[in-house]
Amino acid sequence: MKTILAFRESEYAWVHEKFPCVHPLLLPLCNKPFIEFLIDFAILAGSSAVRILCDGGLGEVERYCEDGSRWGIDLSYASIHPDDSIHAMLGKNRKFCGEERVMIVSGFSFIRYDKRYDYKSFASSMPPGEWSTCPGGRITLTGVPTKAVPDWLIADLSLMPLDSMTSYYQASMETLKTGESRYVLPGYGDEPECAFGRNVVISKSVEIRKPVSIGNNVQLLGNAIIGPSAIIGSNVIIDRESSVESSIVFDNTYIGEHLEIIGRIASGNRLNDPKSGASIAMEDPHLLSGIKKNRHLRSLPRKIVHACVALVMIAAFFIPFIILWPLLKLGGHWKSSPASFLSERTDETMPLAKVEVDASGAAAAIAVALSLDRYFRLFWVVTGQLALIGSTPLLAGESRPDAPAYVPAYLPGVFSYAEAEEWAATGGDATIVERFHLAHSNPLTDIGLVIKAFINRFQEKSTI
Amino acid sequence: MTITETSKIGIAILSLYGTLDALSAPELRNNRSIIDPEKTVVIDLQQVDFIDSSGIGAIVSASRQKRQPSGGIVLACMNDRVRKVFEITNAQKLFHIFDDTTAAVDFASSRQSASA
Amino acid sequence: MNNSNITLTLPAERLFARVARQTASSVADLVIGDDRHEPAGRDFSHAFELAVSEAFTNSVTHARESATPQVVKLTFFFEQRQLVVSVHDANDPFTIETPVPDIESYPENGFGLLIIRKVMDHVTYRREGNYNIISMSKTL
Repeated sequence: MKTILAFRESEYAWVHEKFPCVHPLLLPLCNKPFIEFLIDFAILAGSSAVRILCDGGLGEVERYCEDGSRWGIDLSYASIHPDDSIHAMLGKNRKFCGEERVMIVSGFSFIRYDKRYDYKSFASSMPPGEWSTCPGGRITLTGVPTKAVPDWLIADLSLMPLDSMTSYYQASMETLKTGESRYVLPGYGDEPECAFGRNVVISKSVEIRKPVSIGNNVQLLGNAIIGPSAIIGSNVIIDRESSVESSIVFDNTYIGEHLEIIGRIASGNRLNDPKSGASIAMEDPHLLSGIKKNRHLRSLPRKIVHACVALVMIAAFFIPFIILWPLLKLGGHWKSSPASFLSERTDETMPLAKVEVDASGAAAAIAVALSLDRYFRLFWVVTGQLALIGSTPLLAGESRPDAPAYVPAYLPGVFSYAEAEEWAATGGDATIVERFHLAHSNPLTDIGLVIKAFINRFQEKSTI
Repeated sequence: MTITETSKIGIAILSLYGTLDALSAPELRNNRSIIDPEKTVVIDLQQVDFIDSSGIGAIVSASRQKRQPSGGIVLACMNDRVRKVFEITNAQKLFHIFDDTTAAVDFASSRQSASA
Repeated sequence: MNNSNITLTLPAERLFARVARQTASSVADLVIGDDRHEPAGRDFSHAFELAVSEAFTNSVTHARESATPQVVKLTFFFEQRQLVVSVHDANDPFTIETPVPDIESYPENGFGLLIIRKVMDHVTYRREGNYNIISMSKTL
């Protein structure tokens, strides 16, 4: 048997509006992308090949699901028109369908199934026609049955439309409660109703109240209360004394100190009320508590400390710089181009040289290991326009999801906190590390982190 | 790029082979079946190994030539590389796309007789 | 090819767009290594090839009429898992922030920069003297 999963953009337009950071078909339900539940069901129903049809873009879905080999099926993608009937979809995918029985799941709806039932026998013995429907969604079978209907067969199945944040919240909570018994869910755990991803750091004083589902790379800090009914995504930090109950926290979100998130969906800096559908973009000092206060109170001492350390570094590296820089420049190994970077202040940019050092020779390798490519930037620290350690400077004029409009905490630095913590310099998880440090670091810890970043760069460069 | 033209129940089938880019796009734009506003054309893209914005522009331009832009050009057998470029530009929204040439011809024929 | 530059100077003619993109594809395959047979590796290579083809074609389309033959220079650079390509030409200045074409009006042009912005991670444009430089990078 083969399965067609068909969607129209109009069915999930609300997801684009409420959760712009995620493709609707990858919307997480209990830390598992929506489309994976459908693929699981197709496999349970005996499908060897699945085709995803959509009248919108499927690029992100395709990058995530690839060719289906991870599920042991053939997964392919195709386009449809918004007004295509099921008959038209079958015509457009005639080669895919071949002579086999086809199950068509259409509409943006959640399938309530139970992995313990034998859907395979059911799907191959049912007469052609509708199997299950809900407003905006249906499961249809085509082609002749390949088996006779056995008398004993029971296969519980229903569809739930995902037409709003309310229904999405309901489906997520329902999945969390029924948990592993009905669905295949991600995470590990010794206890039922408690699933943890990889690299979850939990402080001793954290209280976990079941059921919970926690993603990868999560930090739960002192006295935080997680649950009951909390779904925490990946790359999330829940700061001290905060509680998350009956709520969903999306990937790449930082929940600040002393916050109560009850019955909400937190996504980036947006807090949503699933009951009313209301959504607010939160500024400091809510989800990112403390950052604004820190910046105002500590900006002067921080600038002084950073400037002093920068002066020490300028003096310490002056001799290697004055020897190596002209050498590399003359040899064509030092390439510098002007670029415009976003400044700490909203809507302002600053010109910073972008230096590329071709580290093929010994002199270049030393220069790179000593971070001399960033030597000129140290002067910007002395004038207070750049931090010594902060966020990775963002190029102006780039369209990127972590641009300051979306990131309330941005303090460009010569070195970045992500480098100190050895996170990849790009991506949402590095942004989270930087946000966390911006909220918590003080001028003294910054010195330690600068040394750490410097050593990390030194080790990385000297091993190339 | 090579264009092979065949015909089935009054529908022209253009099978494209090779690269559809700025260099080869004029060949498609100037094809006789393409510039005939009355002729419904199925373009088979199975053997196109590379397409860029000029290629997409040529196919979009082809449908503009037709009396019925939305049905005058029907696309068939898009491979993954071609489909991805269509998706990036959103141009897939303008066409009916089939994974089988015969099915595309059946559809084009029904469209042509409905509009006749 | 960590920290190595590959520079290619080609005549600003459509025919050479194929040389540009085939070079881009080879460079991408080189940095991807064995992953080039995996779906993600294939996508990376295709995206890079497509972006270079678009940038080169854009340079050729807007090349000035002049007595001396115009050239387009491509520089490939790989560092910290980022494959970077810069495309230099001596055309008039332009902006990469072009509006997305309205597909419903069956546009025939304007897809090139849209494709570049969508398939690459970072795209920047700068003017240096009389030269336009589009710099595009994609992380492995």
